[in-house]
Amino acid sequence: MTTAILEKPASPSATLPLAASTVRPSSTKPAALLVGLDLGTNKSCVLAGNPGTTDITVSKVVPSVVGYVKDGIVDGIITGNAKILFGEEALRQMLHVELATPLAEGIIAHPESARDFLQHIRLLADPTGRAEIRAVVGVPANAGEAAREAIRRAASGIFSHILLIPEPFLAALGYRDDARVKQSGYVDPVVNSLFIDIGGGTSDLCLVQGYFPTRDDQISIAFAGDAIDELIFDGLNRTYPNNGLSVITVREIKEAHAYVGPSRKPLEVKVVIGGKSRTLELGDAIGNACNALLDKIYPALTSLIARASSDSVVTLLQNIIVTGGGSQIRGIDTVLQKRLADDGYESPKVRLAGQDFQRYVAIGALKAARAARENQWQVLLG
Amino acid sequence: MGRIYRRICFLRFEGFSAEASRMEFTDLKEAVDAAKASSPDRDEAEALLRRLLDEEGERVSEAIAFAEVLIPMLGERPAASQGRGPIQAAAARPHRHAGAEPASRGIADFIDDMLAQDRRAAP
Repeated sequence: MTTAILEKPASPSATLPLAASTVRPSSTKPAALLVGLDLGTNKSCVLAGNPGTTDITVSKVVPSVVGYVKDGIVDGIITGNAKILFGEEALRQMLHVELATPLAEGIIAHPESARDFLQHIRLLADPTGRAEIRAVVGVPANAGEAAREAIRRAASGIFSHILLIPEPFLAALGYRDDARVKQSGYVDPVVNSLFIDIGGGTSDLCLVQGYFPTRDDQISIAFAGDAIDELIFDGLNRTYPNNGLSVITVREIKEAHAYVGPSRKPLEVKVVIGGKSRTLELGDAIGNACNALLDKIYPALTSLIARASSDSVVTLLQNIIVTGGGSQIRGIDTVLQKRLADDGYESPKVRLAGQDFQRYVAIGALKAARAARENQWQVLLG
Repeated sequence: MGRIYRRICFLRFEGFSAEASRMEFTDLKEAVDAAKASSPDRDEAEALLRRLLDEEGERVSEAIAFAEVLIPMLGERPAASQGRGPIQAAAARPHRHAGAEPASRGIADFIDDMLAQDRRAAP
């Protein structure tokens, strides 16, 4: 069954983006709010702003987790005696809640918790609860129609309008410095770049060369942060059986120590097991897991480079950008760059997206929301 | 030889540079060498070959331009056939001219491209 959506027929204003002047607050018509949303497997980022402005009124990164309070929890244990918690609050209270992760491998896996999570996102964007919200939501590269429909269904009744756009393209849009686009010497990432967006569920690669990337310009690999966590977890259990460490603790260890390239040993990590402090040597476990990611990304990277025309590929090789949580893996830029150089690619340059790596997709989504024409939005009837 | 050269032109247009180069340095070279070997006047043979290849390249450019005009018109009708040939593939691909003033294209134009792709892919 397909969510009821309405694509508006062209009208005189259909070719214009939504402008502040088209929405006049009144006693009957709710104010409009634009949202850019990166719905990530592990972390989501939401940005909000008013139409016709460049202001960002809300910018939040939220763990993509919902906590349903267990029966029998004594009053006062949970703040406000809430029945459902979200994000950091749910993780803090994990002993008292059933944790649900709405997404897996970048797409909605649990529709009910996804709806609850989107309700929470809506409230973050609009605490008044009264605005009419139009949201651009990032989807993994080459996400199928079933995955898109799941997002539309979950968002029905929460957002009034929606537009789904692949995440790597949004990352390029978000990374683009609009103030420098016309400066000589500035290479617009939307003109000629290759983005590698390593998230929790998927690693998405995308060739962006001045037109909207086709399916063949995008590769989505279902191997990313979560897969690295599992490999480290397995490696840890082989070396230190019955260590009792949770996947969440392993993820924290990964985020603090992840690296690629030659083995870095010793890499000693202090943990508490059974109440006692222990020092574990995790150099190989972490290095092997992260290098496994690189072994999957590299062939996808070179196959996309091969698609570039001969007159654009040299510049393209200077603009390979790694973003997402995986950009925090130490050495990922230099190791990828060295592999390309060793394989004969001309002066490759791989760089990291920088400290805003968690926000670029949402920034690009909000830019798209501001620019979208009326007839490009899908109306969610719910 | 004309057929081989047309194929190379289409491959370059579709962005398969590696495959196009491979054909250029194997199949096409073999055909050109054979043509030159069979002619008593090498200079005349080279001039003739150059003219032939230029004409073939021109034919390919005209065919692609024609397809870019025609295919969107046909796309408004119910799909009559499945399968992708070079012309359909060319029509499905947006303009790939390097440095084609992308700064003048707004974000909404990119969204239009995306929606057009989605419509072409829809059953």
